[in-house]
Amino acid sequence: MPDLSQESRAPAADNPRALDADVIVIGSGPAGMSAAIGVAKAGLKVIVLDMQPTPGGQIFRALESNLLARPSTDKLLNALGPTYLAGQALIEEFRSVAAIDYRPETTVWELRAEATVGWLRGNSAGYLRARQVVVANGAMERPMPFPGWTLPGVMTAGAVQTLLKAGRLQPDGRVVLVGTGPLILLLAEQLRRLGVRPSLIGRTDTIRDKLAAVGSIKLSAMAPLAKGFGWLSRLKLAGITMRTGVSDLTAYGRDKVESVSLSVAGRTIELPCDLLVVHDGIVPATDVAHCAGLAMEWLHDDTSWKPKTTEDGRAELAAGPSLTERPCAIWISGDARRIGGADAAIAHGRQVAACIVAELLGVSLRSELVKGASHVARTLSARPFIDKAFPRGIAAQLPEDSTIVCRCEELTAGDIRSAIHNGATDMNHLRGIMRCGMGPCQGRSCAVTVARLLAEDSGTASPSPFRARPPLRPLPLVALANLTGLDPDLAQIVSLEDKPVDGVEVHAHE
Amino acid sequence: MFIPVGAVEATITIYFNDQAITARTGETLAACLLRAEISAFRTTPVTGSARLPYCMIGHCFDCLVEVNGIGNRQACLQIVEDGMRVTTQQGVASIEWGV
Repeated sequence: MPDLSQESRAPAADNPRALDADVIVIGSGPAGMSAAIGVAKAGLKVIVLDMQPTPGGQIFRALESNLLARPSTDKLLNALGPTYLAGQALIEEFRSVAAIDYRPETTVWELRAEATVGWLRGNSAGYLRARQVVVANGAMERPMPFPGWTLPGVMTAGAVQTLLKAGRLQPDGRVVLVGTGPLILLLAEQLRRLGVRPSLIGRTDTIRDKLAAVGSIKLSAMAPLAKGFGWLSRLKLAGITMRTGVSDLTAYGRDKVESVSLSVAGRTIELPCDLLVVHDGIVPATDVAHCAGLAMEWLHDDTSWKPKTTEDGRAELAAGPSLTERPCAIWISGDARRIGGADAAIAHGRQVAACIVAELLGVSLRSELVKGASHVARTLSARPFIDKAFPRGIAAQLPEDSTIVCRCEELTAGDIRSAIHNGATDMNHLRGIMRCGMGPCQGRSCAVTVARLLAEDSGTASPSPFRARPPLRPLPLVALANLTGLDPDLAQIVSLEDKPVDGVEVHAHE
Repeated sequence: MFIPVGAVEATITIYFNDQAITARTGETLAACLLRAEISAFRTTPVTGSARLPYCMIGHCFDCLVEVNGIGNRQACLQIVEDGMRVTTQQGVASIEWGV
């Protein structure tokens, strides 16, 4: 057999990888679109991979088709309002740059730090290679386990917004909103414009949070704050019941949610309910970055991970053994790097593009980079206030023993606690012995809670997530069998003659 | 639980457990099934409890269905196609051994 150990140690210089593009961008939301435009306009070859059929990300989801379907979507567009319509210019610019090789409905199931990306579209899959990769896969809503959160009819605020934008559907029946953060208030205002009247908006944040946050208000953050106050006053004028400082949320029902209970000002109230909409803020989607073996940072106060990057978005490899000997060629931008919303994502995507152009084309863009950095800082200036004014609510308390933590394998906090008391010491150990985080969602919904349950016992200061392995998302066998773009250094075609015959292995290459 | 905002331009047909459902070109399978008031997309492999979509953006995997014979497809990411055949996943997957 050829000595693979020798061959695989001769990388880079004398054996350049066949490249499909200069840059691959993962995600075509605000950050991804703006990064792709920046590098393409500088003459670099860029491929953009995105799960959705049209560009825009979750914030501008289906904006193109909703604009195209006017006037039948006038009512919807009016309800979604200016924060949604603001995406039009960026999407049009993204579409107009002919040099961008945009590949929609394409899922990323692997990322390697040297800039190799595993992709899936329909039943076709393969690898693509570039000199640099920009990870702009956005955010997810913070997992918030509470009793009954797996019942049909319990959905996140983001899910309801997606159904509005991409499904042109609005909630019907008895609707209750519970949680915290700007998104749930924006959703409530959008629903009000459609004539949907929730029986209650229960907010976990308090007036005291707002007072504590006043010191964090910056002048440049006044516009987004004014927008928020506008939503609140219109909801109040419409006579929609809103309570602050709620806690102890429980959803009841057999095959679907039938009622909810929560504590308001020390009193427990119970409401009939057909749709319970929950939200506890958003956190970076770390699945792709984590798969690449990038360093993660545990934010203790926020109980979430974010990838470790420079302000410009350059990622670094986690300590320890790595699957690649080449330098890390990954950048992370937008909400996937740090929660900041669309404007901050657009500014940061542009900044990443400028950095990549400067590096790959060897040009100095010093003044642009400085200007870009200050623009990024300005667009993030409302965040310190928002983080203080809307602290995590339902997820702040660790769940009681009977509450499901791992939605896929239906493991409760009690199941996990007892495994920890019986000696399980880390996430991968728990996964191995009880399948926690091993179901279809691959730990996306439970990882944070499991990490906190471990920390509750051992007092670990910075827990590590489950080790992520490709494929990150289900890959049909037919796609796997026909993978394209395999690395010639690593792929070995083995014929049937290599298989053992009568128990004796035949070495065809000996 | 959900009703259309305005008129639905449903021009194609999909089949959910052999029941014909009209669908709008370009919409996700999850949105289409929720509008059709489907009460559960699947039941779980562990306790057999009913599930509907939770996150709608591809993170929670609660909307899994079988599409044209292939299981574990995320209905929230799948765009409807005329004639698409969708079935619920009941509990643990089983394998039918051929003869």
